[in-house]
Order: sequence, then C-alpha cells, then structure tokens
Amino acid sequence: MSESLVAVMTALADDELVLGHRHSEWTGFAPHLEEDVAFSSIAQDEIGHATAFYRLIGDLTGTDADQIALGREPNQYRNATLCEQPNGDWAYTLARHWLYDHADDLRLEALEKTAHAPLSALITKIRREERYHLIHADTWLKRVAHGPVEGRNRLVAAVTDALPHAVGLFEPYELEEQAIDEGWLPVASKDLAEKFFDAMTEALDRLGFPAETHSRPDQRAEFVASSSGDLIAGEGDGAIGEAESASAAAGGRRGQHTAAFDSLWEEMTAQFRAHPGATW
Amino acid sequence: MTYEEKLAHFTEHIQLGGKVEANDWMPDDYRGGVLKFIEMHANSEIMGALPERECLPAAPSLRRKMSLCAKIQDEVGHSQLLYRVAEDLGKSRDAMYADLVNGKSKFHNVFHYPVKHWGDVAIIGWLIDGAALVTQAALLDSSYAPYTRVLKRICAEEQLHLRHGEDITLELASGTTAQRDLFQEALDRWWLPIIHFFGPRTNVAKDLLLAWKVKTRTNEDLRQEFLDRYVPKILELGFTIPTPTPYHDEASGHWLIDDDDIDWQPLEAVKRNEGPETQRRLARRREIYEGHRWVREALAEPSYHAA
Amino acid sequence: MRVTAGSARRWRNPATTLPDSMDVYEVFRRGGHKDPFEHCGSVIAPDPEMALLLGKECFLRRREGEHLWVVKRSAIHSFEDESLLEIAADKSYRFAEAYRDVVTKRERARKRAQELAG
Repeated sequence: MSESLVAVMTALADDELVLGHRHSEWTGFAPHLEEDVAFSSIAQDEIGHATAFYRLIGDLTGTDADQIALGREPNQYRNATLCEQPNGDWAYTLARHWLYDHADDLRLEALEKTAHAPLSALITKIRREERYHLIHADTWLKRVAHGPVEGRNRLVAAVTDALPHAVGLFEPYELEEQAIDEGWLPVASKDLAEKFFDAMTEALDRLGFPAETHSRPDQRAEFVASSSGDLIAGEGDGAIGEAESASAAAGGRRGQHTAAFDSLWEEMTAQFRAHPGATW
Repeated sequence: MTYEEKLAHFTEHIQLGGKVEANDWMPDDYRGGVLKFIEMHANSEIMGALPERECLPAAPSLRRKMSLCAKIQDEVGHSQLLYRVAEDLGKSRDAMYADLVNGKSKFHNVFHYPVKHWGDVAIIGWLIDGAALVTQAALLDSSYAPYTRVLKRICAEEQLHLRHGEDITLELASGTTAQRDLFQEALDRWWLPIIHFFGPRTNVAKDLLLAWKVKTRTNEDLRQEFLDRYVPKILELGFTIPTPTPYHDEASGHWLIDDDDIDWQPLEAVKRNEGPETQRRLARRREIYEGHRWVREALAEPSYHAA
Repeated sequence: MRVTAGSARRWRNPATTLPDSMDVYEVFRRGGHKDPFEHCGSVIAPDPEMALLLGKECFLRRREGEHLWVVKRSAIHSFEDESLLEIAADKSYRFAEAYRDVVTKRERARKRAQELAG
C-alpha cells in the first residue's frame, strides 16, 4: 500500500463528498423546479464519485467505504475549504460549482495518466459525468452573467467570495512529492493551479468580468480586476474585486477546516457514529 | 350551443367514461375543481420533499445518501410534472408557488409534521408512500386525461420508492434493538397522521370531484385498502401499532379502525396550516423563493449580451 | 479547458433537395388519452396546416392514433454530443432491481422479530 496514493485519493474523495453534501442541501429548495431536479443529479454524481474513490482507498487499506466517509474525525478530512462553505445563495452555489468543476476537470485530466490503473480507469468513467457538470455550470454562468443586473452583480460578488477558497483546491496533497516520484500523481498541484487561473481569467473575460490573475510562488493567489464599467450604465461596475488573502483558503489538504466544516461534519456523521457496526 | 347544452353534453361525456383534455370545453366548476386538486397534489409533492430532505444530511451510509437524494429528487420531479398540468388549466406556476409559500393554498397533512431520525425515513418511504400510492393509483382512471398521463409515471416511481422505503424498514427491523426502536418510535408519532392522510369519510352526495369522476373512490375505501395491505406487514415485523389500533374482523377479513377511535382534532389545525412544522417549513421556502426572484428573472429575460 | 460555447444543437434541414419554401415537419401521434405522444415520422410541407394534412394520411390512416402533432424540425433541439445522455457512474439505486432481494430481507426481519419476541 502506498500512503501517498491514499493521500491523493482521500483528498479527491473528500472534496466530492463534502461538495456533494452541500449540493444536496438544495434538493427540494432550488430556485427553479426543473433545476432542482438537475442539481440533485449533480449532487448524487459527486457523492457517487466520492464513494468510488473511497472504495479504491478501501481496496488498499482494507477499510469499508462508509467507515472512511462517515467514521473519521474532522481533522482527518482532506477536502479543500471551498467545498465546505455554506451554500449561501444560488449565485454562490453557481460560482463554486463552476470553479470547482473546472478545477476538477483539470486535475482529473492530469490524473487519468496515474500509474495506479484502477484509479485511471475510474477517472475515465467519472470524466464522462463531469462533462455534463461543466456544460451545466457554463450554461448557468453565461445566462446569469449576461442577464439582468441584480443576478450579474450577485454573481460577481459570489465569484469574488469563492475564488480565494478555490486556491485551496490546488494546495499540495500530503506526501505530494512522494506521490509524484512514485508515479501516482502525474502533474504537481502548483502547475495545475497556474493552468486553472489562466483558464478562469480567460473565461471571466469572456463573460465580461475582466480579471487578471497571477499566482505567487508560495501558492497564494491574488486576483486583481479592472472594472467592466460600461456593461450596464449607471449600475454596479460588475468587476471582480481584489480577493482577500488566499491563505485563508489553505489548510484543507492538511485537515485544517473552517468553522463551517464542524457543523457539516457533526450533522453528516452523527447518525453513523451513534450506531457503531450497524447496517442500514 | 348554449351553456346549458354544453354542460349537458359534457356531463354525459363524463358519465360515459369520457376523458377531458386541457383545450376541451369544460364547465368552470370542473376547471376550478381539477385545478385546485392538482395544485394541492403538486404542493404536496414539493412540500413532501422537505421532511425527507431534513433527514438527508444525516443519511447513515453513502448508498443511502444517494438513494434518498434520488428519491426526493423524484418527488420534486413529480411536483414539476403536476404544476405543468395545473398551469395548463390557467394558473401560472408563479401564482401557485406564491400561494403556497404565503399559506394561501394547502398541502397534505403528513408533511406538516417533524422528523427526528432515520426511522422517519423508513416510515415516510414505506407507509406514507404506500398510502400515497393507494390514493394515486385510484386516480389513474381520472376523467382529466393530462393528469392521468403524468400519474402513470408518478405511480411507477412511487412503486420504486415503496421498495426503497421497505428496504430501509427491513434493515431497521433486522438490525440492533436501537435500530428497531427508531422505527417503532417513528411509527408511534406517524400512525395517526397516516390515518388522517386519507381524510374523513367522503360525503358522496356533495363531492363534486367524485361526480365529475376526477376522483373515482371514497376516502374510507382507500383507507381500508391501505390498512388491509400494510397492517399485517407491520405486525409480522414485530412492531406495535398505536391508537387508533386496527383490529382484524374475521367475518369480513378486513383490518378495521372504528370511526370513533380516530381523533380528528390534530387534522383541523393542520388544515388551517397550523401543524407543528407548517410555518417553519413554509417560512424557509418563502425566504428562498423571495431571495431568488433574480434567478427567475435571469431565466425569463433574454440575454443582454448574447455571446 | 474552455467554457463550452453551447451544448444544444438545432436539427438542420437536409437542405440538399429541399426547396426554399418547404420544411421538414416531425410528426407525433398519440394512441389515446392515457398515452404519451410518440414520434412516428416526418413529412415535407410548406406550412403546419399542410403538414397536418399530410401527416394524417402518412401516419394515421389505419387509426394508429387519435391525436396528431407536427413540429417544424428547426424548432427541435438536441445535444451536440448525445453520449452526455449516458449514465456513467453507478446509479443502480434509481432502479427497481436494486431492491429485488426484498423477499429474503423480509424473511430475515421476521426472524429477528420472532427471536426478540421469544
């Protein structure tokens, strides 16, 4: 068993589980009925992908997938803090969904070439579903970004909020160097981070949210945006403001979470923990 | 044709088992009655999503987390199908949704009650969906054809939910005593609301929907079918049914509950939208609905900056 | 990675042989009030009225349906890539087969009840 491989898969699985959990909080509440149905599928997809990753981990460690997913202490979860943030409004949910799924696409594309064959095969399957997620996110982003001013302003604010936490998706995995040396991880996280921010900058430009990004060597990213000014005369300028320090977003990969995770964890795991050994 | 002639023609058509389509002529009473009935059904599906939704974050396994999410997703999907049918009768979805969140329209009694744990998921999935299936299957031959077409799919999905609910129940029943207690405790809370679910005895002479064949069976008839089907199944798993406790009538072979044993008082409060969870759930839905007007505007308006 | 330009595709008329004034109309029919409309073919016609007249004789002349719709093909949209419609990961919980061992489970639960009662 390789500890570095388990570390990488745990981070992926925890990202998907925690984000899927958040997404599923919209089930029954999404602001458009048809979207409620669509978004519930995305929640199920994410939890399904998490389950598949946990099973691969279980194959290496001999631990049951539910036990890994629901039976650990909070500081043993390796999800990026982006995933655990409360849903906020639909704009924040969209912004996070969009950032996350584009980041996920990049890292899965790279990871498909991992030396661990079962992981590679699984990622090939997962990427098929993630294509729908990308189209879904892009279509919504475009509609809101090009739509009436309130939605557009909310989206700008939401992207501004979510971007610093998105940095945490590319915080190096535990034992990352070892994972690279052993062939499990084909591309270093910091290289993916650069690609991600370049792509997001371009995409935000195309959506009419001019933003310039640059990554710093210490993996902290800062987003400086110019005003989009003339888009809607007399209304908010629609620019992505300078993001707060990205350091707030780091730590998830080392088990350091924000306060939002504590209540999520408590709710998600309480019933499982209350009945040790029970089957459901 | 005069209105009276049209009405006579329509009534005869219905009496002969004829079906009605959205764009057919229909008396205002019929249109209004069907609309209200389907609107309440749609409301019940979307409000019915909430009790289970409250149990979803704490689902005790990954598999159950996904399957419960999928099940609630189906319920939301049912409300989508039903609101579409209701909309075609002349009331906009926005108007129906606004009436719902502002407490001006109704939804089924069982969705006004609290949930506490996984035992509630078993009860809702097995017994409440079982009750709903009995009533919905009885509507498959309703005179309003667009309704029957969506009910076909709804009933098929409810069949799946029933299996899903029974599966959860059987795991609890086969499990630890603590797990069995979850089911029993939930059954104790839910039994009376489930009996209420079918409603008081139908006044056949006054029930317009029955006359128009929108509904085809009486409340007491449907409740009896439910009791005969589910009481033996609950008992053989070793659970105890609280008041109003059914008894087996050897002569008729039915599981009966005497009318006098049913306390209708709690239902009266629920009907006024004053159930234990009514206002909290409506308030949550209203808050999200009002806070997301901008989403509906973004969907409704053409893009300002077409790419 | 790039923002997908759009995932919807309109049906394009097979313009090769079609005169400007004509369109392809897709034809849908419904057997009875309880059935859904189902696609049954298409006709070439200059307008919806004509498409209905032609569709009726092409597709319902043996009482295959009681109701008829025609829809201009250009009004129909589909995914560019229909492999999006595949269900990739395990969604077996959405299907009845996932719960087919109910008889065994019932038996097990009954035994558990008896064991506790006895």
